[in-house]
Amino acid sequence: MTIALKKLSLTVNGKAIDPVDVPDTMMMQDFLYEYLNLTGARMGCGQGICHACTVIVENDDGTLAEMRTCITGAHWFEGRKVRTIEGHAKRDASGAITQLTPVQQAFIEHFSFQCGYCTPGFVTGATVLLDELKRKPVARADLERTISEALDKHICRCTGYVRYYEAVRDVILNTPGLIKA
Amino acid sequence: MNKRTVLWTAIVLALLALLALGSVFFGLFEKSVVAKDVDQPLSPEQMKTLAARGAYVAVAADCYACHTAKGGAPWAGGLPFTTPFGTIYATNISPDKEHGIGNWTRADFHRAVRDGVGKGDTHLYPAMPYASYRLMTAEDVDAVYAYLMSRPPMKVANKPNDLNFPFNIRRVLTFWNLVNLPADMPPLDAARSEIWNRGRYVVDALGHCGECHTPRNIMQGMKASEYLKGAVLEGVVAPDITKDGLARMGFDPVLLPAFMKSGISAQGAMTNQMFEVVHFSTQYMTDDDLAAMSAYLSDLDKLPDKPASPTQPKPVAVAPELATAARGNYLSLCSGCHGIEGQGIPHVVVPLSTNASLRLATARNLIRAVLEGIPAQHFPGLERMQPMPGFKDQLDDRQVADLANWMRAQWGGEEPNVKPEDVAQIRRGE
Repeated sequence: MTIALKKLSLTVNGKAIDPVDVPDTMMMQDFLYEYLNLTGARMGCGQGICHACTVIVENDDGTLAEMRTCITGAHWFEGRKVRTIEGHAKRDASGAITQLTPVQQAFIEHFSFQCGYCTPGFVTGATVLLDELKRKPVARADLERTISEALDKHICRCTGYVRYYEAVRDVILNTPGLIKA
Repeated sequence: MNKRTVLWTAIVLALLALLALGSVFFGLFEKSVVAKDVDQPLSPEQMKTLAARGAYVAVAADCYACHTAKGGAPWAGGLPFTTPFGTIYATNISPDKEHGIGNWTRADFHRAVRDGVGKGDTHLYPAMPYASYRLMTAEDVDAVYAYLMSRPPMKVANKPNDLNFPFNIRRVLTFWNLVNLPADMPPLDAARSEIWNRGRYVVDALGHCGECHTPRNIMQGMKASEYLKGAVLEGVVAPDITKDGLARMGFDPVLLPAFMKSGISAQGAMTNQMFEVVHFSTQYMTDDDLAAMSAYLSDLDKLPDKPASPTQPKPVAVAPELATAARGNYLSLCSGCHGIEGQGIPHVVVPLSTNASLRLATARNLIRAVLEGIPAQHFPGLERMQPMPGFKDQLDDRQVADLANWMRAQWGGEEPNVKPEDVAQIRRGE
């Protein structure tokens, strides 16, 4: 059996990936692992349920979207800009991390995770939520519900939910412009 | 004829018409199928014996699904029904004396279930499927009555309906009843087997399948000429479940009972209102009744011992550009769960290669599922289907049309006749 290959080019964490031959049936997660050595997006259920595998797609209009890499084919990302968990923090020229994002920092300060397997997904989901609130702030009274609805799909088995939740709420309340005046 | 005669004739005709309409309105033409002997109350012993059987009859007739609101008290009503004429609410049928049917006599209950006329001559709306329950036997109605009266009373007030004029006048239903109510259940068909006859009773009376699967006429009555041939309900196709319709979807009469019991089959999982029917009703039905239902629907006097070998429809060719574009999107967005060959994942995701919605005459249900997704559903016996995400934000009308055409042509053997306009229409909720 021969595997049908198809050229794929996209931008990952700000870096253009030259056209590369990728099996037309390959899922994005395998492409990130096997071709780019980016293993931060976790393989959890492999069925699109747990959301440990999500990455950000930076749309042309500047909005961010969350996509599951375990059930989305690599070729769906053709020509798109992708941000994986490795692309959130600021790094220096050598690649060493110089500054975490406010979401990452808050998760550490709140001891949000134990095993950390779900954390890349939570960082991704919370980052997309912050981006949405920047464009469309919510009333303070609706904040708790908004966080729950946005992150509900992320599954954590050490049940760090409360601490993730409190961390995200803290970041939102401390970031100007996300709550309606 | 002189002017005077014409005038008088007109007046007489108008009066006669008014008299006729009035007679209908005041129920002079209403035909009750309820026998007089139900005026005799049931003895406490009879009530006790009947209640046990009534529990099963009520399940087979799926009374609970409508008469209990989501998260509400059992049998206390409150589930809303949105109709073109306004919203109506299912009523409290627990034996509470104030809000429920605690003061209803046996005769009151029979008339409500089979004639559509409740206690105090109050007409029911046909959202209550009395046009089907009319065919129930008096013994079964007694059993349900005895069962309901044995439930704990629920002190929950009925919600007032919100209907437009003239539908807010219950008495106008005398006109509907005149046109749309069937006669009593036809006598047993001696030429057919016992199971066929039982199947007809389960399908037509208890299961009230036609209420959704038979298209409605302009009066909103079931069209007898298109019995069980499928209808669109809240934007979803309730498919043709006649013998030919079932065969077209790939259902084998021997395997259909298992689908009604489990909600899962090679043809897909029950969704929308049929999921609730399995959840509340058919999963609890006896194997004999499910077999009878299947035999009747496939017009058989006896189910074969073994199912026939499944057949796969012959694929229909599609334009190469369409196939390439659609297959690309299929591999990107669908194959992760449904499999590269449409095989699905057992206990997790339904297969598409044998899916019924790819074989229906219309692609409506398939397109809706692609756009809106399907919520996670828990089936009997610890089975669970994961939620399907909707792809309305990822795919435009052309891409959805191509995808539907390609899947239906390849696996369903259906002509690729879906147009982007069709997708746009379903996307708008039409």
